[in-house]
Amino acid sequence: MLHLGARTYPPEQRLIMAIVNRTPDSFYDKGATWDEAAAMDRVHEVVAAGADILDIGGVAAAPGAPVDVAEEIRRTVPFVATVRAAYPDLVISVDTWRHEVARAACQAGADLLNDTWGGQDPELPGVAAAFRAGLVCAHAGQQAPRTRPFRVAYDDVLADVLERTLGQAARAVAAGVDPARILIDAAHDFGKNTWQSLEVTRRLGEMTSTGWPVLVSLSNKDFIGETLDRPPGGRLTGTLATTAICAWLGARVFRVHQIQETRDVLRMVSAIKGEQPPARTVRGLA
Amino acid sequence: MITAAALCPWPPLLVRELTGADPVLPELRNACAAAVTGLLSAAPEAVTVVAPGPVTAAWPGDGRLDVAAFGGLPAPSSAPASAVSGICSLPPAAGIGAYLLDQAGYQGPRVIWTVSQDEPPAGCRKLGAELAVTGQRTALLVLGDGSARRGPKAPGAFDPRAAAFDAAVQHAVAAADLDALLAVDPALARDLMATGRPAWQVLAGALGGTEPAATVRYADDPFGVLYLVASLVPAPH
Repeated sequence: MLHLGARTYPPEQRLIMAIVNRTPDSFYDKGATWDEAAAMDRVHEVVAAGADILDIGGVAAAPGAPVDVAEEIRRTVPFVATVRAAYPDLVISVDTWRHEVARAACQAGADLLNDTWGGQDPELPGVAAAFRAGLVCAHAGQQAPRTRPFRVAYDDVLADVLERTLGQAARAVAAGVDPARILIDAAHDFGKNTWQSLEVTRRLGEMTSTGWPVLVSLSNKDFIGETLDRPPGGRLTGTLATTAICAWLGARVFRVHQIQETRDVLRMVSAIKGEQPPARTVRGLA
Repeated sequence: MITAAALCPWPPLLVRELTGADPVLPELRNACAAAVTGLLSAAPEAVTVVAPGPVTAAWPGDGRLDVAAFGGLPAPSSAPASAVSGICSLPPAAGIGAYLLDQAGYQGPRVIWTVSQDEPPAGCRKLGAELAVTGQRTALLVLGDGSARRGPKAPGAFDPRAAAFDAAVQHAVAAADLDALLAVDPALARDLMATGRPAWQVLAGALGGTEPAATVRYADDPFGVLYLVASLVPAPH
């Protein structure tokens, strides 16, 4: 069972984490929800579309203008509080690697810390433990926050993913984080070239078979763009295909921009796997 | 002697788990349940199931529907249900009959017959008469549908003859007009994909001379197949 906020999710339930950026410069939405009212509209929209988790981020992953702790807090924490007031039961995640931001976000009502940069700040697990929040333990290789991969090589990329994510999970448990609130994430594109992200996808079963719930963050990313030779706006089909394969291989949480489309894909996978019945079956049965 | 008879259709969607999250036709399911409950209310000593099937033959009384033949969510074991339980899988229509009895909680003896689409009306009538003479208080559960060619969305291509054919059958059932049921043309029934024909005629044979009264509980074609649910009770002596 996975626990997030006050909720408990059985192993066969697949969850959608909706991306809500409080940034002027994220690669896909390019500041569409930089304005607070627009961000709140986006929250209402993704909740209505069936998102299970919100992931609020204040710093774009790509290199860009510096965002210090105070600015990241200013961008994300009041917004977390606003969303929490509007949706008392919604699971709220904050995408940050900094423990100061994490602490303020948890005080404002965040339930999950999405440490996409893979354990850069050793004090982060302590914050999750103190607030009984969850923690996403991701793999960014040896890459520093807000840098792009530069000639990254692995003897075995998945072995490195497992070593780093499981290592972080173990340290989180030792720091007092509830094991039922820990997820692992290969972090596609982070510290990986396209070949490496494709291999991680192909071998995702090696992550899911660890027993830790696996989060995948695939949405419109460069490994899809390079595979299909498509700009960010043309990557939905590739994202959904990759989503289906990750779901089939056992991923549990899907961090995405497009909620409705992802929901349909996950519903199909659940039905094909036989974990969830179709909505309504009459064909050939009348 | 026949204590009572019930006529039910046998679309697989009567099995709740086969329709997915949506119950699809709860009113049809409820009508069938009411008909079977009515059948059992006279405390029969046995229930005879008569259903269309590949051959005219008796089947083991403990036979059941092989739901997995229609799909549904995979069973925990990969082995077929029949292999696990050692219970005979009935042809679908007879299986639905057994399923309806199970749903009603009936645990008494069962006699199960299938009747071939090739069985002529006289043979059906004779079988019905034989099934009625059991020396036991016997309830009769008959499975059969009207035409499956009733509209543009029907399983079979639309046939303009279907409406009149089904109307005549529905009228015969509602009026408990056994002669009219025996007069249903097997060739036309086959053309119209009306699977109920041989079973209706067994029913007529079984109820011959009993002056039954009929209650139609459901008559509709939501998916282009005529579903007919009815109860028929012989007149008291």
